[in-house]
Amino acid sequence: MQLKHNNVEDVLIVRPLEKRIDASTATEFKQKMNEWIDSGNRRIVLNLSEVDFIDSSGLGAIISGFKKIGNNGNLVICVVKESVMSLFRLTRMNRVFDIYASENEALEALSGKA
Amino acid sequence: MKTANMIRLIIDSRLESVSLVGSAVRGIANTLYIDSTTSYQLELCVVEAVTNGIKHAYHGQAGHSVEIDVLLYPDRLTFKIYNRGKSMNPAKVAPFSFDPSNIETLPEGGMGVYILHALMDEVHYETINGQNILTLVKYLKKH
Repeated sequence: MQLKHNNVEDVLIVRPLEKRIDASTATEFKQKMNEWIDSGNRRIVLNLSEVDFIDSSGLGAIISGFKKIGNNGNLVICVVKESVMSLFRLTRMNRVFDIYASENEALEALSGKA
Repeated sequence: MKTANMIRLIIDSRLESVSLVGSAVRGIANTLYIDSTTSYQLELCVVEAVTNGIKHAYHGQAGHSVEIDVLLYPDRLTFKIYNRGKSMNPAKVAPFSFDPSNIETLPEGGMGVYILHALMDEVHYETINGQNILTLVKYLKKH
């Protein structure tokens, strides 16, 4: 699974370059997120602009990263396609994650947090 | 009941193959004047069902076949997902519930069956002569 990643100050931006995060890629996605969190990244923006399909395994992998960071930082999401957003609403994860329309908005929101 | 058009999809029980079924379902939905969010949700349900079968009925082992019949009726779309692995006990599926404000309660799995019931109009599960059959029905809106 290809995940583009770069740092803007202390924020890690992760952008999957795949159209799908499903059961066949969720384990690898989760492992890479775990590695980044273990190496000290506590503020992460997940940019889903390329992703047009997420299933419950993919969503579970994103939730796993969010839980691993816990209260020591935040994982926010941006540029979510409407169809994928319907999964966040259906599972009420739109009430768990901060979701932004653009990467800049996500970065600003995350930078403003202590 | 009017005769249905039917398409049968058969894949090997590998998670890497599930997206083939998903793409086929989305392609079929796109021919039926179904909006893009509903198309995604139909694909999602079939992917969840097939993935559950591979993970739980076949314990993630390749080398088994999973069959999916797609039946198109004038008023509804029916998916039948077949496997010959371990049967599921629907009564033992844990309910999907968590507190959005409590991070410890957030689920990392166990959402598949909830998604099927939330998005499909009918969900049936039965085992006949060792074959597990999950039937998903979506009523189509009239245009």
